[in-house]
Amino acid sequence: MDAAALQAFLEASVRLAAPLALAALGETISERAGVINIGLEGSIIGGALGGALGALFTGSPGAGVLAGAAAGTAIAAIFALFAVTLNADQIIVGTAVTLGGLGIAGVVYQSVFGATGTALTLPTLPALPLPGLSALPVIGPALFSQAWTTYLACLLAPALWYFLFRTRWGLDLRAVGEEPGAADAAGIRVRRIRFLAVLGAGLLAGIAGAHLALAHAGTFAEGMSAGRGFIAIAVVVLGRWNPLLVLLASLFFGAASALQFELQAVFANVPYQLLLAFPYLLTLAALAGWIGRSRAPAALAHPWPPRSGE
Amino acid sequence: MGVPTVRSSGGALAAAWVLGGLSVACGGGESGTAGDGLRVALLTSGPVSDAGWYAGAYEGLLLIEESLGARISHQQTRSPAEFDEAFFSYGSSGYDLVFAHGFEYQDAALRAGEEFPDMTIVVSSGGRISDNVRSLIFRLEEGSYLAGMMAGGLTRSKVVGMVGGVAIPPAQGTFRAFEAGARVIDPEIEVLEAFIGSWDDVAAAREAATAQLSRGADVLVHNTDAASFGVFQAVREAHGDQDPVWAIGMNRDQNDVAPDVIAGSAAIDIPRAFMEVATRFVAGTLPPGAFDLSLDENVVDFIVNPAALDRIPAELLSRIGEARAAIRQGTLEVPRIRFLEEESGSP
Repeated sequence: MDAAALQAFLEASVRLAAPLALAALGETISERAGVINIGLEGSIIGGALGGALGALFTGSPGAGVLAGAAAGTAIAAIFALFAVTLNADQIIVGTAVTLGGLGIAGVVYQSVFGATGTALTLPTLPALPLPGLSALPVIGPALFSQAWTTYLACLLAPALWYFLFRTRWGLDLRAVGEEPGAADAAGIRVRRIRFLAVLGAGLLAGIAGAHLALAHAGTFAEGMSAGRGFIAIAVVVLGRWNPLLVLLASLFFGAASALQFELQAVFANVPYQLLLAFPYLLTLAALAGWIGRSRAPAALAHPWPPRSGE
Repeated sequence: MGVPTVRSSGGALAAAWVLGGLSVACGGGESGTAGDGLRVALLTSGPVSDAGWYAGAYEGLLLIEESLGARISHQQTRSPAEFDEAFFSYGSSGYDLVFAHGFEYQDAALRAGEEFPDMTIVVSSGGRISDNVRSLIFRLEEGSYLAGMMAGGLTRSKVVGMVGGVAIPPAQGTFRAFEAGARVIDPEIEVLEAFIGSWDDVAAAREAATAQLSRGADVLVHNTDAASFGVFQAVREAHGDQDPVWAIGMNRDQNDVAPDVIAGSAAIDIPRAFMEVATRFVAGTLPPGAFDLSLDENVVDFIVNPAALDRIPAELLSRIGEARAAIRQGTLEVPRIRFLEEESGSP
């Protein structure tokens, strides 16, 4: 691989990783609080459509990101209402929210742009080259000439790590995800923390969707989230519920996708499915405990207060 | 992780919410006209807002409603698990004709055909047939071959690219024909090919297109659904007035989807094809087995983008026109992949 190809590969890796990282960092917070939000996909598509509409009607991609964040949060609020407030099964509610989110996004899109669709050209988030750093050979353009949402993901990882492991609020949140009974006895309001954690995850998933539409694709299509919400959940597992490792894991998933496009462009007849499957095999290995010690929050997916018989 | 269980009232409420969302999402629904008249349904496994393969089918369904006064319904299935369910819903409510718009429906169609002998199922690009399960085969290779000639004539770098959804035989068939068309213009042309593993993933299509553009390709064709927007977007960004980069549409006339960069579309007139099937169905003249529609019936064609005409050499246009005439006369055989399994699946 020559320098130009390497640079193109790195750029593609970072582009593909950014929405995954945003969504996975949000999911990390939610899962650390004991809530597995399978509805993430619904928030991402909501964010993509919200971002597209916001940017189109205001002309400003920045306003689009805000609209996308709001849409993602709103969809997560529906999940939180059922899964946290009404204490329904998280997996079932999450599945419903994903399917419902995809359906609603389709209805809204078709009602605005017609049933048979069109290739929208959206105002896109420009790349913001960081002075000096972006001039570095090969890695400069990939790492330091990106949309601001990509930098946001990179800054959020250490910030969330600090929040989770070095602040009192982070300790409370982790207590809720590990031992909600003990946390409750200690006076921590379990449901409120879980509700807020889910909203935070929805907010970031909404930004991820807006990034997909405004910084990556430059357009919107129904179904364009294409399973990224579920991939983000796998990324959280591979990143062992640690924001810093989650960021790295996102890059790894992004690189694996980018690699298969590069390889297909160079060699004919590469079995692209194998390359796409590779990060998931690694995630399975991580789940099985073959890559370091890895343990999910003890109360993950457990309702609170516990339903009778559980 | 605990094992999820189904028993809470909240779950039921959420399920009601999602069902509400889905039934709205299915659009169309049942728009009643004649009481006991013809009932026609359409199944798609992607959104009809793709401005391509599925959009054409939806337009066909609307045309059947308008012209034949049929009662129509459309459902978008979200996973293969829903195929049987969808056929069952139409079979049990007495639909006469169901268009299952894609190769992926062929197995579920056979099962449903056996269960509901009074219902006729037409599978687009289907590879299997039985008494009441028919295959509607679009000879899109013929349009794709002409599109390949266009690409071969337009490329200056002598590299062209193809971005596909999933490597199923109908998609591979169009790519082989495209390749052959490009090499008729210049045997030295290099043809890149990538599949993204999805029909709707716009971002992935864009990355695959960008990877091909960075390897020097300057004309890209796609065979995807909504993901095509990603290919058009990548081409748009690489397009310069001095260095034109072109995209070619596929499945439906997509010239107006990105008129600034699309040179033309290898298109199926899906509404016309559906009308042809429905009309013959009503008259009782729908042939058994497979029903081929090609350039000859004006169902498949290569349509040059009128907005790009002044930027395309006249000599190239006339060469494409000659090839088109030769295909019609039968003097030019376009390579194709045959995927119809003869006599399979009969009970």
